[in-house]
Amino acid sequence: MIRMPLILFVLWIPNTIWADDLFDSKIEPLLRDRCFECHSHEESIEAGLALDSRSGWVTGGDSGTAILPGKPDESLLIKKVRWSDAEHQMPPEKKLTAAEIALLEEWVKRGAPDPRKLAAAKSDALEWWSLKPLNPTAIPNSDVHPIDAFIQEKLKANELTPSVEADRRTLIRRLSLDLHGFLPTPEEVSAFETDSDPQAWEKLVDRMLDSPRYGERWARHWLDVIHYADSHGCEHDVKRPNAWRFRDYVIARLNEDVPWDRFVREQLAVDAFYPDEPRLMPALGFIAAGPLELSRASTAPVTFDYLDRDDIVTQTMAAFASTTANCARCHTHKFDPITQEDYYSLQAVFAGVGKGDIEYDANDDVHKRRIEMESLLAATVSHDANILLQSKYDEIVNQWIQLWEIGQANPVQWQTLDANVFLSSGGATLTKQDDGSIFASGKLPDQEEYAITAEVKLKRVTAIKLDVLKDDRLPKGGPGRAENGNLHLSEVEFHWFPDGAKTPIKLKIAQASADFDQDGWTSSHAIDGDLKSGWAIYPQVNKSHYIVFELAVPIDATQGGRLAITLKHLYPPKHVIGRFRLSVTEAEAVATRILPETVQEALKNSSELRTLADHTLIAEVALKKYASNILAELPAPAVAYGVSPYWSHAKKHPEPLAPKVVHLLRRGEFNKPVREVIPGALSAISGLSGRFEELNSLPESLRRAALADWLVHPENPLTWRSVVNRVWHYHFGRGICDTPNDFGRMGGEPSHPELLNWLAVWFRDQGHGSLKELHRLILTSNTWKQASDWGSVPVRNLEVDRENRLLWRMNRSRLDADSFRDSTLRISCRLDFTIGGEGIEQFVKTAGPQATPALDYEQYDWNSKPTNRRSIYRVVWRGIPDPFMDALDFPDLALLTPKRSFSVSALQSLTLYNNNFVLSASEWIADRVKQEVPTEQWVQRAAQLCWQRTPTKTELKSFEAYAESYGLTALCRVLLNSNEYLFVD
Amino acid sequence: MIETLNSLDRRNFLSNTGGGLCGIALAQMFARELSAKVETGSPAFQDGLHHIPKVRRVIQLFMTGGASPMDTFDYKPELERLHGQKLGPTEKPEGFTAMPGAMMKSPFKFKQHGESGRWVSSVFPHQAKWVDEMAFLMAMTSKTNVHGPGTYMMNSGFLLPGFPCMGAWISYALGNLTDNLPTFIVLPDAKGLPYNQRGPFSSGFLPAVHQGTVINAASRTPVPDLFANERYEFATKAANRDGLALLNQINRSHAEQRTEDSRLDAQIRSYELAAKMQLSAPEAFDISKESQSTHQAYGLGQSETDDFGRRCLLARRLVERDTRFVQVWSGPQGATGNWDNHGSIPNELPPIARSVDQPIAALIGDLKSRGLFDDTLLIWTTEFGRTPFAQGGEGRDHNGGSFVTWLAGAGVNAGVAHGQSDDWGYKAAEGKTYCYDFHATILHLLGINHKRLTFRQNGIDRRLTDVHGHVVHEILK
Repeated sequence: MIRMPLILFVLWIPNTIWADDLFDSKIEPLLRDRCFECHSHEESIEAGLALDSRSGWVTGGDSGTAILPGKPDESLLIKKVRWSDAEHQMPPEKKLTAAEIALLEEWVKRGAPDPRKLAAAKSDALEWWSLKPLNPTAIPNSDVHPIDAFIQEKLKANELTPSVEADRRTLIRRLSLDLHGFLPTPEEVSAFETDSDPQAWEKLVDRMLDSPRYGERWARHWLDVIHYADSHGCEHDVKRPNAWRFRDYVIARLNEDVPWDRFVREQLAVDAFYPDEPRLMPALGFIAAGPLELSRASTAPVTFDYLDRDDIVTQTMAAFASTTANCARCHTHKFDPITQEDYYSLQAVFAGVGKGDIEYDANDDVHKRRIEMESLLAATVSHDANILLQSKYDEIVNQWIQLWEIGQANPVQWQTLDANVFLSSGGATLTKQDDGSIFASGKLPDQEEYAITAEVKLKRVTAIKLDVLKDDRLPKGGPGRAENGNLHLSEVEFHWFPDGAKTPIKLKIAQASADFDQDGWTSSHAIDGDLKSGWAIYPQVNKSHYIVFELAVPIDATQGGRLAITLKHLYPPKHVIGRFRLSVTEAEAVATRILPETVQEALKNSSELRTLADHTLIAEVALKKYASNILAELPAPAVAYGVSPYWSHAKKHPEPLAPKVVHLLRRGEFNKPVREVIPGALSAISGLSGRFEELNSLPESLRRAALADWLVHPENPLTWRSVVNRVWHYHFGRGICDTPNDFGRMGGEPSHPELLNWLAVWFRDQGHGSLKELHRLILTSNTWKQASDWGSVPVRNLEVDRENRLLWRMNRSRLDADSFRDSTLRISCRLDFTIGGEGIEQFVKTAGPQATPALDYEQYDWNSKPTNRRSIYRVVWRGIPDPFMDALDFPDLALLTPKRSFSVSALQSLTLYNNNFVLSASEWIADRVKQEVPTEQWVQRAAQLCWQRTPTKTELKSFEAYAESYGLTALCRVLLNSNEYLFVD
Repeated sequence: MIETLNSLDRRNFLSNTGGGLCGIALAQMFARELSAKVETGSPAFQDGLHHIPKVRRVIQLFMTGGASPMDTFDYKPELERLHGQKLGPTEKPEGFTAMPGAMMKSPFKFKQHGESGRWVSSVFPHQAKWVDEMAFLMAMTSKTNVHGPGTYMMNSGFLLPGFPCMGAWISYALGNLTDNLPTFIVLPDAKGLPYNQRGPFSSGFLPAVHQGTVINAASRTPVPDLFANERYEFATKAANRDGLALLNQINRSHAEQRTEDSRLDAQIRSYELAAKMQLSAPEAFDISKESQSTHQAYGLGQSETDDFGRRCLLARRLVERDTRFVQVWSGPQGATGNWDNHGSIPNELPPIARSVDQPIAALIGDLKSRGLFDDTLLIWTTEFGRTPFAQGGEGRDHNGGSFVTWLAGAGVNAGVAHGQSDDWGYKAAEGKTYCYDFHATILHLLGINHKRLTFRQNGIDRRLTDVHGHVVHEILK
């Protein structure tokens, strides 16, 4: 750098020369030299300020924008480098030279031109394999299987020799592990080995794909990818008792081979796309999978609101599009075309939902019925004659009228209850009147609960009646104590104490009917469990009224007993009953006979004389009962842990909440909002709109639906590549791109980009998104069927491509934690193939110091029955993992796990050798063998079960010697630890 | 097995297989390349990754719940003057469990100790004798004042779960010093696990082999699955031994038929190591071998100090036998029995302080007299501090603003203090030290440049220190 003449030089240059190259040659080196150590992404970002990009100083750090172009004196950066005062001294160790400061001042004065852009913003940002449009690729050789054509072309180009096909035993072991997640039985192996059908392989593949075991195996992969667990995580690691519905959903949908685009749509917005198929509602468990909901609810509501959405965005974009959108939380992505705005737009997609238990109908027909009855019920409230007078309801209404007429002929006999205890919780004075009624006076509390008990003299009670009586002593003549004479009966409760019984029976109320309901405060509100709603009578004050409660199950009072009645007045304040009387009856179907006066009037007219209003009134009452009865009889809704706009911070609200406003945050800090963003996705993908402009005022589910549509758009280059690569990864042990969650510039580059492209297009177009078709395609290729051993190929293969990136052989794989457990159970003849349902807890659970329980895996009884379910049905506790599964690299489900790690350690070996599960299994296998074959075949059979082959003579000899000394069980333990068991060639 | 990898692009290999087959550490992977560059035969070079280490093993003591600084090591006379005045925030900050109350002085007497003249309160009479061995970080600060995230932050550098903790990173970077014992051992409080359960010992995205091995110090079988449970009668000692021999034999013949697959060899080797561990681990955990006076020194047999003392003594035995990283936790998660003294500082702090004070002092003395301080680092940490204003009558709420950590042993400039909190002890005033700086400093002592210890995960080169961190040279020799 020219030191001395610098100032002269700066002053001398004309404006036009202040171009990129000068920035590059002078300013950037200066910043790099003196500032980057503390203010760059590569080193560190002190005080939030990064000076390695234009956006860095524009956004600025903790103190705001660092440079105001054209205004050096007002620019913080200039103040700092001038060491203007004690607060402003940068760089702190050594002041810049006067020449350097002058250079910076001049640069700022001239508008601070800064040509630097983060890699993403560069024009070649889209010049990246995963972002290239998905165009059909020609198959290099149409005479062979398309996959083999691509693979062989590359092998040929590199002068590599493919391996021979593996033997049949190896193939079926490999296939069984691949598609079902456990080893085959020796019988399955020999059946395939001796199958002379030329289509034997294809048939085997089909059979395995048709088995429900397939869905169980492949669901596990998806649960890994999206960090599904059965508990929350972090310090509130409590169980999510209904999360398993999502696990079952994934298993079922994979078995049903739902097309991939539909699978994506269901998991992001099943409520928007398929409202008539509520059985699929558990799909939303996808969005709810992450660990942070209770941290959001209990720990730090503001911070975790953003962090949880961050987790959702990260998961969604990684799982479906292999994109690390989360890298743009603090700044525009350094390597990929993802802006900070994109990232926050993705957050906005999920700003309308919270996580919680969602009710849904597991049966679509039940749902249809429920919807119809709910809208019928709604019509009875909104007096909608168009619905109520539909001819399909005529018969129901007429039947009801007949029933009513019969009732009229036989009036209900009520027996007044003689209260022996009557208490006011609010301190009012209650006095019994001559007619058996109770009168309240004295203190008028805001909230009031009357508790009354009385002996029942009838043999049977079907209904209880509450008369609220007018009285001149009450305001406006009552019957309420409120200033306007009104009352609000929030809730009633009835308990029955049979004589001699210690505990009361709570009585269920089937229906409530009153002679008059205030608008919006109806009789059914007094039994809805909601303390803020209730029955009221305004404006019909200065008039007695009554409400009748019909019991779901009549009281059998033959042995005598007392009835305890609680009348709650909670909201609004002071709306308390002033005078009331209670009575009981044994008559049937009482509630139907209690009708509002208006309806009674309507019924008095003969059918021909009734007006439209009369008909509507009558239909309302009749259909209300009809709909309520049907609704009560429908199966209770199922419950799944998922998301909905009714939930926020682990709390359910009565109404859906408006989506939260999402801001772009300076450097991702919650207290530094910059501007509001609208829902959207990545803006740089060509052909797809990155912002969902029109959605802000619409139901929030459409935001999620829009993202799903964006993801599965045929022209989205990421999604289709992502899924075929993921599937490839599980078949070969390594993806064509070996970072299945990251197709960006920080990820791996594909070994066969043309093949990946071809597969993605094929899957989208010919395969119609069918995973099973994709499996079939891969599994019938010679590439997949190659031997894994290196022995048969020229040494050149090893020299050129030791890693086998070009697939000149198959990769050998080790049983993962789940496969080890399931295979071992299967050999033990204990594997229980029940599908679905609540998870099994393989631990002893005790209360913990706080919400999180203590789990003891060591004390678990391995001989208890639930043990035998497949591993996918284990309850996976996020923060307290099973040490056995853990040792075998079962993933930490705080994380997205696109591929499991592979570790080998002494501790893992100790676990495999000594863990109670393996030792128990050794006993089970030995027991099985002893039951199956005569003594002299024990050893051979044990080896055959574990290895699916007959042991050699030498092997047999040493096994027999060992079993002789230590027993067959001890030998089984050794076999379960052997590499031949653990690895599949 | 390293030989079989020679032609491989190692960096690529590491990122592709998730950090190494056998969980072999980076240092071991690169040992050859490094030794070519480092002066051959230099006794100083042991196993540092980037430079010559001062420390080879670490014991970390972790006070769960947020140990109060102004009642232990951070003397604040100003609080005496302001006692009872309402000066704190007028709204409840996020993470506080209640509205802040009036300023509260410490109920304990402070005195200066040692040549360094460090102020220590009366709750730590034993540690006070060793202040000249300690270097203090007086202005540690956290990005959170909530237990779960705070515990993560001090262990993994991130507020969220899923990131490897320091012990896992160290195991990943440096590997083991011995085949006889696990590399990273965690000794949780007998009363229970800390906040986030096993999260703070997780290896996150690093291979499982690097996670902390949780040892139940009170159990007769502290190392899980070291031996078969006695109820499996067939698994006798001899069956165990000869079974491993048979396994070795069949695995070798299996491997012979398969051209050099390093994973098969690794698996064979790991069973050999398992057998070694079976031989040596029981001795390491057998504290009955220690003298009566040692037991007494650590407070064994006294109800208050027995559990923590036992675990401190175990920690010493483990590092002596070359376990790389030992973490000793004081207190479980929850409302009682830890350092989360919301209810009453005068009633709740002294018992938990007593339970660790004598054992810690004994541990320092022991490490020093045995020469272990030559290459062992001892650190005292907590997740955050507490408020200078009262909660309720006499408790203190969470405060991420300022708290104290001390280090002792190899490489540490004993007797110094770095940083200072404000006059209330509410926020860091000078020498603010984040977990990033703290972790960077410890890695530095271990011969690791924290910026160069990375692991690529889902598109990001992750570090223990995220994008931050400065080595706090002020407390180093």
